[in-house]
Amino acid sequence: MVIDRLELIHDSRNSDLAETVSTDVLQVSPESEVSRTVIDWKNPWDFEEVYGKLLDFCQAYPFNTDEEQYLAHLTTGTHVAQICLFLLTESRHLPGMLVQTGPSRRKNSALGTCHIIDLNLSRYDSIAARYHVRAEQGLDFLKAGIKTRNRKFNSMIEQIERVAINSKSPILIMGPTGSGKTQLAKRIYALKRSRNQVKGELVSVNCGTLRGDAAMAALFGHTKGAFTGADVERTGLLKTADKGIVFLDEISELGLDEQAMLLHALEEKRFRPMGADREVESDFQVIAGTNQDLHECVRRGNFRADLFARINLWTYQLPGLAERREDIEPNLDYECRRFEEMHGRKVRFNKEARKLYLDFATGPEAKWSGNFRDLSSSVTRMATMAGPKRINEAIVDGELERLRSQWMHQHPGDDLLADLLTPDQLAGLDLFDQLGLRETIRICRQHETLSEAGRRLFQVSRLRKTSTNDANRLKKYLERFGLNWSWIRETRMTSD
Amino acid sequence: MTTLPDIPIEVDGSHGEGGGQILRSSLALSMLTGRPFAIRNIRAGRQKPGLLRQHLAAVKAAGEISHAGLSGAELCSAELGFQPGPVDGGSYHFAVGTAGSTMLILQTILLPLCLAREPSEVVLEGGTHNPFAPPFDFLHRAFLPVIARMGAKVRMKLEKPGFYPAGGGRVVVHVEPCPALRPIDLLERGELKSRAAVAMVSNIPLQVAERELKLGRRRLDLGEQELQAINATEADGPGNVFMVVLEFSNLTELFTGFGELGTKAERLARKTCDQAERYLKSDAPVGDYLADQLLLPMAVAGGGSFRCTALSSHFQTNVGVIEQFLPIKITTGREDRLAWLVTINAGA
Repeated sequence: MVIDRLELIHDSRNSDLAETVSTDVLQVSPESEVSRTVIDWKNPWDFEEVYGKLLDFCQAYPFNTDEEQYLAHLTTGTHVAQICLFLLTESRHLPGMLVQTGPSRRKNSALGTCHIIDLNLSRYDSIAARYHVRAEQGLDFLKAGIKTRNRKFNSMIEQIERVAINSKSPILIMGPTGSGKTQLAKRIYALKRSRNQVKGELVSVNCGTLRGDAAMAALFGHTKGAFTGADVERTGLLKTADKGIVFLDEISELGLDEQAMLLHALEEKRFRPMGADREVESDFQVIAGTNQDLHECVRRGNFRADLFARINLWTYQLPGLAERREDIEPNLDYECRRFEEMHGRKVRFNKEARKLYLDFATGPEAKWSGNFRDLSSSVTRMATMAGPKRINEAIVDGELERLRSQWMHQHPGDDLLADLLTPDQLAGLDLFDQLGLRETIRICRQHETLSEAGRRLFQVSRLRKTSTNDANRLKKYLERFGLNWSWIRETRMTSD
Repeated sequence: MTTLPDIPIEVDGSHGEGGGQILRSSLALSMLTGRPFAIRNIRAGRQKPGLLRQHLAAVKAAGEISHAGLSGAELCSAELGFQPGPVDGGSYHFAVGTAGSTMLILQTILLPLCLAREPSEVVLEGGTHNPFAPPFDFLHRAFLPVIARMGAKVRMKLEKPGFYPAGGGRVVVHVEPCPALRPIDLLERGELKSRAAVAMVSNIPLQVAERELKLGRRRLDLGEQELQAINATEADGPGNVFMVVLEFSNLTELFTGFGELGTKAERLARKTCDQAERYLKSDAPVGDYLADQLLLPMAVAGGGSFRCTALSSHFQTNVGVIEQFLPIKITTGREDRLAWLVTINAGA
């Protein structure tokens, strides 16, 4: 190795030594030029001082990486100086590699040893391979070991893996019901847990099931006697999720007051339980799930714009199963394994039955409107029918019949009406009526009472009427389809 | 065999012992003949193949005196292209780092400078007494007198010895131009004129030299006046060489041992005396190392012959390279156990 220029950093007390070193270097290596820089240390063991002065040196140095290559010599100086040089090289303030020198290993040889250390880890095949394996493991984790083939889905999972490992910011998962939002939240938690990035628990809550005082109390906790029925003190889910993750599914269903509290809790890492005088602290990460268009919710005034802005940082749209047909086969295997684990019994198709099922499942006829939930139920039904035997063609035939009729009257991406109406009822409805009814139900579900929903739905005509009974008008409209308020509300609570 | 002068001669650096000798010989021959060459597989036989810094120093020095076009002249390069121009005499200064011997640089540029039109003064800085290279005293006392008989006019002076690893030595070489070298025959030693054992130490106890001389005196049956201890206090680092010099009327031969940490003075002196005794058992005038050195000037002279004690692997390598550059034929024949006849003939 030939060094063209040696930058010797020394303090003024050691100028004589530096002079000797320079002369020796020139004698042993006449090709080199030695340039000396004096830096006086008050305390060469003081990290702040040493780092600061070396950083100044690096920033003032006319590095010319097009023409020159640099090596930071780590062998001399205090350990603090060595650490600082390492850090400056790693952060590329010193755009070079490290060099470590030493005497020869052979006793009588004057020729020393030198090792060049490149901090660019991607240059090292075996390290890169290990990172790759670890990343693969992370991806595997997120996909629950399902060898998914859909390119878009896989690249999304890769991004989620990076975000999950590197960020504590909120993650928003959008996707139709049954597309695996809850599953993904659980796996993100498991991944972070395996990398020791969360210490606390995963707390999952479906915001659709939280109403009124109970909602506040459930999320933020309350003191004893904070409200009627608050007989005992309650910690609250957000406190339980301290140093962990809270998964807020159907976040669009959260009331506006709760949204305001949640935003405060997210930003300040503290909040006040109901009836309490003091705030409690909780540092949690939020994963939010929704099957609603939150932009639309914000526009309609049902969702706070500031909260949306806070959670809309890492937003992922989970595609439905129908959009990931190439992933149906690996997911079918996964569902079979899951059934086995739950019931301790092997689930097998015979060859023809499997082909028959997959042809249908990946074909255009299969709507998969309930997504993974549909697939899971389907496998459960077939496995139950088959008992200890293999699933044969007859069982698959029967199952396909059932799936066909289940999806017959549904429109793509729509299970709102299917939840409430029988297929026969739905078949008897004009598209005109279906569209009106679907939107009406959606609005109903965003309001606490029949009257509130009525006021929103008849917001113009109610102003012109002498007596306004919006609740009654709405009730009668619903009755035309054999529906009532409480049923609409209940179905919602169990829908996810 | 004829080769067009402008087409580079292809030299395979892995031939023979595959070291730096093939490179240095090629550089010298290229400058002497004006023919470009391309060498591949430089030092292919070695643990760290490619150009090391002392080879690079030789390449750069050759490039400087002959205004050569260079390609691949960088560290660890396994290939080098060299296109020489006319060799200019003049003032030159060459320095070589740690492990490098200035004598190997001199070996590369000396003959081209001898045959240049102008006189030269060359200052060399670095090692002057390095293991695995001819020491200053060998070139000065053994090699120069022989090429002087062939017409070369060279004076060299050791201003300060430089030992491995500190280096820091200084040699000044004066070269007067000579139009051509004359062929000579070196077949007999002539009568023994003097013997000497020389021990030089630098920055180590003088007793080391005394112990070496004591052993040399006993082994070679030398008188007190034939022993010389030199304390080279002016040198920068520690160092020690032990030399046996045998002066005959036709030439001088010199045998060297290099001291190093962990080698006993007596062992070093004994091995050097072994070399001298082996030489004295033969009647061939040219020793192993001098034989390597004489091939090149004799080939440039276009003829000549000598008798030597053995043919080293360096010798064989040099024969191969010389015959690539010059239209000559080198024949060797063994006369007895310690005598070979080497004949150089023009127009092979």
